Amino acid sequence: MIKNYFKIAIRNLWKHKAFSFINIFGLSVGMTACFLIFLYVNFEISYDDFHSKEDRIYRVVADIKTPTETINGNGPSWAVPPHISEFPEVSAAVRVLSDVILFKKDNLTFNETESLWADADFFTVFDYKLLKGNPLTVLKDPFSIVLSESSAKKYFGDTDPIGQVIQIADDAFPSTVTGIMEDIPVNSQIQGEVVISMTTITKKFAEGVDNQWGNYGPFAYLLLKPGTNAEGLESKFPAFLEKWSGKEMSKSQMFPTLLLEPLKDVYLKSDRGGFVTGNIKNVYVFSIVAILILLIACINFVNLTTARSSERAKEVGIRKVVGAAKFQLARQFIGESVLISLIAFLLTLVVSSLLLSSFNQLAGKTISQGIFETPQYTLLLFLTAIGIGLLAGIYPALILSSFKSTTVLKGRFSTGTKGVFLRKSLVISQFTISIALIIGTIVVYSQMSYMGNRDLGFKKDQILVLDTNSDKNRDVLKQTISGLSNIKNVSLSSSVPGTGNPAAYSEIENIKGDLQVANLDLYFVDFDYISLFDIQLVAGRPFSREFKTDNTQAMVLNEAAVKMFGYSSPEQAIGKRFKQWGREGKIIGIIKDFHFQSLKNPIKPLSMRIEPDRNDYLSINVPSSNLASTLAAVEEEWKKIIPNKPFSYYFLDEFFSRQYKSEEQFGKLFLNFALLAIFLSCLGLLGLASYTTMQRTKEIGIRKVMGASVSSILNLLSRDFLKLVAISFFVAAPISWYFMQEWLMDFAYRTTIGWWVFIVAGVIAMLIALITVSFQALKAAIANPIKSLKTE
Amino acid sequence: MLLEIKDLFKWVNSGGNRIFLLNDIELTVNEGDFISIMGPSGSGKTTLLNVIGMLDDFNEGEYNFLHEPVHTLKEKYRANLYKEYIGFVFQSYHLIDELTVYENIETPLLYKKCSSAERKAMVADMLDRFNIVGKKDLFPAQLSGGQQQLVGIARALITNPKLILADEPTGNLNSKQGEEIMNLFKQLNDEGVTIIQVTHSEKNATYGSRIINLLDGRIV
Repeated sequence: MIKNYFKIAIRNLWKHKAFSFINIFGLSVGMTACFLIFLYVNFEISYDDFHSKEDRIYRVVADIKTPTETINGNGPSWAVPPHISEFPEVSAAVRVLSDVILFKKDNLTFNETESLWADADFFTVFDYKLLKGNPLTVLKDPFSIVLSESSAKKYFGDTDPIGQVIQIADDAFPSTVTGIMEDIPVNSQIQGEVVISMTTITKKFAEGVDNQWGNYGPFAYLLLKPGTNAEGLESKFPAFLEKWSGKEMSKSQMFPTLLLEPLKDVYLKSDRGGFVTGNIKNVYVFSIVAILILLIACINFVNLTTARSSERAKEVGIRKVVGAAKFQLARQFIGESVLISLIAFLLTLVVSSLLLSSFNQLAGKTISQGIFETPQYTLLLFLTAIGIGLLAGIYPALILSSFKSTTVLKGRFSTGTKGVFLRKSLVISQFTISIALIIGTIVVYSQMSYMGNRDLGFKKDQILVLDTNSDKNRDVLKQTISGLSNIKNVSLSSSVPGTGNPAAYSEIENIKGDLQVANLDLYFVDFDYISLFDIQLVAGRPFSREFKTDNTQAMVLNEAAVKMFGYSSPEQAIGKRFKQWGREGKIIGIIKDFHFQSLKNPIKPLSMRIEPDRNDYLSINVPSSNLASTLAAVEEEWKKIIPNKPFSYYFLDEFFSRQYKSEEQFGKLFLNFALLAIFLSCLGLLGLASYTTMQRTKEIGIRKVMGASVSSILNLLSRDFLKLVAISFFVAAPISWYFMQEWLMDFAYRTTIGWWVFIVAGVIAMLIALITVSFQALKAAIANPIKSLKTE
Repeated sequence: MLLEIKDLFKWVNSGGNRIFLLNDIELTVNEGDFISIMGPSGSGKTTLLNVIGMLDDFNEGEYNFLHEPVHTLKEKYRANLYKEYIGFVFQSYHLIDELTVYENIETPLLYKKCSSAERKAMVADMLDRFNIVGKKDLFPAQLSGGQQQLVGIARALITNPKLILADEPTGNLNSKQGEEIMNLFKQLNDEGVTIIQVTHSEKNATYGSRIINLLDGRIV
């Protein structure tokens, strides 16, 4: 019997190739999209799950309350982890600090951008596997290095690196390789190529840092003893801080609160940054999108199968007459739908393995090496396919198997109004999803373009930035490069927009004349910075070489800072006193607010001072012509003056917009899935349109004989479908408006969703639907009516 | 006695009027009968045939098939009854287009508990009996009307029914093919199969042993 069913199913598929194609192709496209998103989501939630002690590891973060604001900080102060072991609940505490360190081995120099400093327990708390070396001791002594497998290969090739010496940092401290670790998995929140013992810092570079309660820096992780209640421990922290640093806190007016974040929540849910961070929102959004796309594909399936049911009606009638029971017929049709979904499953496997590498690219990381790497996912897909086949098959099967044999065998049979309402509502839901996704895509892209086009308040074009890594020859480099022909302007600073910047405990005279404490963002700059970046001055004067005092006793604030200290106009703040990091002096100028952080954040109060020791980045205003030769000239000078560091550069505009990389990716993914959704919906619409047109052949024939024109027939056939799209539009518009408004809330500076967005989305959907439908309708409208009527 | 119909009524309501499709039908059929039902279009021939075949229900009256009261039986039991004892032959053959001759004849067996070996043997017998072994792998569309009807009859006979219900079995055939089919029915009747046919043709009606004339749902 199965064989018979199988045969008839295959022959049916073959006989109606177009329908089968739409069904199978549509379903496999939907399943592929869903499967890839599943891989992505699964990867995102798999972060850090390879640590065997995952549920006992917590990240300690510190919120810092100052008299003016509460800062959502990240790492606690340096002194917290070494002292926190006094709690019996804590079995280990590890500080991890990421850094860019210059590595030198013989004549090889590498700027290791993914270097980590870590405390001795790093390899016992976390499950980063050591291939060589003892996890208990590799990071114990100062100047110990653990290399990842691939970086070991880079430095030592095939020779055994253990015990070998690498020079680190500018001053080339000889350090010994004590261990080799497996490359850190991609789904780890801590990423690094090399790990250097933290004792190098705490015992050699910055002795005494272990007791600095006001110096914030590294991320810190705690391993708690089994059965410890994290909240209970958290509640003991205030007393702990008071005991060790009560005096210091009241003096600096900075009051930290220590919080524990479960390790598994850090990557996706924490908003306090990290080595790499994910976004739980994206995970939700894409899971929903995946389900919606699969839903659209299934709807196509149900729609086409029920619409076609009259063609199968005769078979149903015959089978019933020769003795088939209803359940046997239902079983047959469900079996057919499962067969289709299994074919789609095979196709999905092929398509997703072909698409995987480009999907990895789209996602920006290697989510999966190959879809067969994890057979359980393939199995899951297989089961899902069967499930879809069952679910999508049930309704058509029930409709089909309930036909009465006497009616269907009488000859002419029409499905009548049965299922029409359902089919209509299914088409409406498909187009609702599609239109909502189109609107979403337009909003994401208009926000991107808004951010790209907004005046940031500084010059970002034609600026080349070199990271000197605080090289001692940076001033010489600046002098030399400013002497090059073509170069207009050069400046050294601690930060450029987009790099992040220090924040300092500051005291500024406010409107009442008191010194008001604040944690102020801080840029260390030189005399050329403000003019190079074309930052507008609204009061006072910029830093000037003519004033000796500007070197140490001058500060420039932005308008936001002026407002924070209570001044109603920038002029009032000129000449007021400041104290900051051991310097004091007067405010000499006020600059217009500029976006030194991404547009996701509001412009915060900012201070600028001259402090040549802190400078790091060399910004060069280069001409747009002869860029290549200018770049070559700059590189040549670099090699002469800073020979021991690799030359690396970037352009400020690109660098600044890199902050929106995740938004850009989000937009791209959104666009792709919106296209997919509308494509699938149209595929279904095409099938349905061709079917209803076929059913109305007789009516069209009669109308034409009565004298209807081609355009009136076209109108007649398209109108019904366009009505459905119009209804979808009115459902989709408010829903998508709401969700996109929510999405935009993440941006401090955002575009408004104009009415044109909806018009555009509606018109796009209308047009696509119209083209799809009229393709079929036209064919029917221009057909010769005699032919269609003769079949009667 | 094979079946017995007493005081049977079937009607539909159309615009507030009750229209009788079958009106006070009294009919007894004995095993070995060959009955022809005649009447003008719309007189209720096919409806009566469908009622006898249990494909259609009726509103009032009694219908006993092999002493089973059909009017009180549950759908499922009724299906088992006709599956077991009744075979259908249609004017337009009603073969499944996607199945071959062999598979079409085999279909009824799939819905009975028959092993695959049994099915093979039965279908082979039937093909042999109708001399269509050579056509067993063809699809209906590749056969002439007469051949298709032959397959239709073969399919009706495969389950060894006691009763064959034929709805204008020669309606779509030319006279020569029609004659062949009628001779076949005659032969089957001689072998003991009860046959009820609906026909427009006086000539075909003469093959039967009894003629029932219908007009407006009544036997006249």
